Amino acid sequence: MALLSQKARKWLRIGLAGPGAVIVAVVTMAGMALWLPAGAANIDNIVLPLVLFPLIWAALFFHACLDRRLGRVALVAIGLFALHAGLVTQKFIAQSAAKESRG
Amino acid sequence: MIHLPKDETKLMVAVHGWSGIVLGLLLYAVVFTGMAAVFAEEIGAWSAGHVERQSAFERPLDGAIQALGARTPEKYHEGVDLFEIGDHNLGVFFHHHEVKPNGQLSSRGIYYQLDRDGKIVGEQTGNAEDVFGPRNDDALSSFLVDTHVRLHVPDPWGLLLTGILGLAMLVAAISGLLIHRHLLKDIFTLRRKASPVLAERDRHSVAGTWSLPFAFLLAFTGSFFSFYGTVGVPIVAMAAFGGDQEALSEAVFGNPAKPDPRPHAIGSLDRISADAIRRTGEIPTFMAIENFGRTDALVTTYHQPGPGDIEPVTLLYNGATAMFEHEKPSIGQRPSAGGSLVAIMGPLHFGNFAGLFSKAIWFGLGFATCYVTLTGLRLWLTRRQDDLRSLAWLDRTVVVVGFGLPLALLASAAAFLVAMPLGSAVYWTPAGFLLASAAIIAAGIALPARRLERLLQIAISLLLIALPLIRLMTGGPGWPRAIEAGQPIIIAVDIALLVAGGWMLWLGKTRTARPRQTRKISLQPAE
Repeated sequence: MALLSQKARKWLRIGLAGPGAVIVAVVTMAGMALWLPAGAANIDNIVLPLVLFPLIWAALFFHACLDRRLGRVALVAIGLFALHAGLVTQKFIAQSAAKESRG
Repeated sequence: MIHLPKDETKLMVAVHGWSGIVLGLLLYAVVFTGMAAVFAEEIGAWSAGHVERQSAFERPLDGAIQALGARTPEKYHEGVDLFEIGDHNLGVFFHHHEVKPNGQLSSRGIYYQLDRDGKIVGEQTGNAEDVFGPRNDDALSSFLVDTHVRLHVPDPWGLLLTGILGLAMLVAAISGLLIHRHLLKDIFTLRRKASPVLAERDRHSVAGTWSLPFAFLLAFTGSFFSFYGTVGVPIVAMAAFGGDQEALSEAVFGNPAKPDPRPHAIGSLDRISADAIRRTGEIPTFMAIENFGRTDALVTTYHQPGPGDIEPVTLLYNGATAMFEHEKPSIGQRPSAGGSLVAIMGPLHFGNFAGLFSKAIWFGLGFATCYVTLTGLRLWLTRRQDDLRSLAWLDRTVVVVGFGLPLALLASAAAFLVAMPLGSAVYWTPAGFLLASAAIIAAGIALPARRLERLLQIAISLLLIALPLIRLMTGGPGWPRAIEAGQPIIIAVDIALLVAGGWMLWLGKTRTARPRQTRKISLQPAE
């Protein structure tokens, strides 16, 4: 990240704290429903992401603001995004395949 | 105490300040109306002069519901919601669930409004979003709640806006905690003899620090409610149920049972109601019937949390036999961490888990949050005294919104009291607010900020004192009648308004006697 100018670092941080945190929080909420344990009532994986969404966003926002190592901020955001977007994509592919085999 | 390095502290001060400046006034409007909406039920009873003692669920309702079932098309028997409206009257919504063209889950059916004798006084057919509008006798409390929930912006944009404001409040609360260098000391520091600016800084800090956990709680639960239906449910339904929101709703709120569509008269709802009250010691806040008129009918009663608890109570009955089945969690079929967490979000946000006591605490902390928002904006302006000429518009806007909003809300209450007996409160309540707002904005353009502030304070004080008198003059029940009817809340609200008006007049008089200091004050980073 030392390759980036001070100005570029500043804008990258704003991007990660602003739209970045919103996008990653939304995708994380969607993906969490697929890996969280369902719990005794079979609903924890559905309702916990809904409850935790504001806190996930706040955690991403403050991490982007306060971590001096911008590379680590980007890594956490991209990692969370890739993991959860991957899970959602896989679910869609599996659903489409199931529909095709039924049809 | 959290010790951040200098650069990070500086950044957090900027984040704290700008989160307040950019969205602070809208946030103030949401928190202020939310603070009043804590007592929406009591304000409703006070403003409409409710004197009925007995709940609709304590009176016979079986015959009326059977008769409604006979006259309602069978397609709307999928669900029947029963709840109290107005002065302990009954609202009944026969409906079926449907998915709108935009994919949103909705209910469509016939909404009946019954009087205390079970006679139909209102009937509307349509979607839930359309039929549950304000009524003549609850226009004031509806107006307050709608301002708080969506700032009167149409869905989903209003909910998204208040959700974003919730996140801004979350940012302000967390950054406020992070920038406190002397948290414990600041909780108790009130230098009364210091300069007005430093004294205001102390009051901001003390009120902000004490209400910090509350601000965090409100912001978190508030943004949860705003984003739940607008963003959360569609996205989680897309990921987990291939976009089927009805399947998600059924998984979370449904009562899975083997379908048995054979016709069967509904069991005695009076028996269910009496049994539910006996078991919980609380009158139902809501009763839901699934599959009305079928053998597999189920009745769920919802109650306020019991003593010492914050999770609401829910009971399930067999609809055909009216026999008690079991107590169930509000969310899901079995107790679970997620279900309990969602179930307590409501009581934590509305502060209604311990009756008037918890409501009063929520009101007080809401007032502290409003105070912190307003004084925070003023401190931000004070720190930029050199640029005050270019920021004069903001100074004036803070005064117009900060003091104008309470005044406009009081004007809408006065408009309601005058219009309700004439049957036109649904129109005049928001109209009164808009007319008062227009007059306040015009005064804001014409008058200097400090003079406007004094004028608005006096107007608020006088209207606070005048409201109980207007209520009596427009036919509202007097104190003897309220005592006779067992409605002390009417008297309590009257006294609260008179005391608040007197206190504001006294405060205005004290402030006038102590001239404002204009000398430049140097504030610390934590400000």
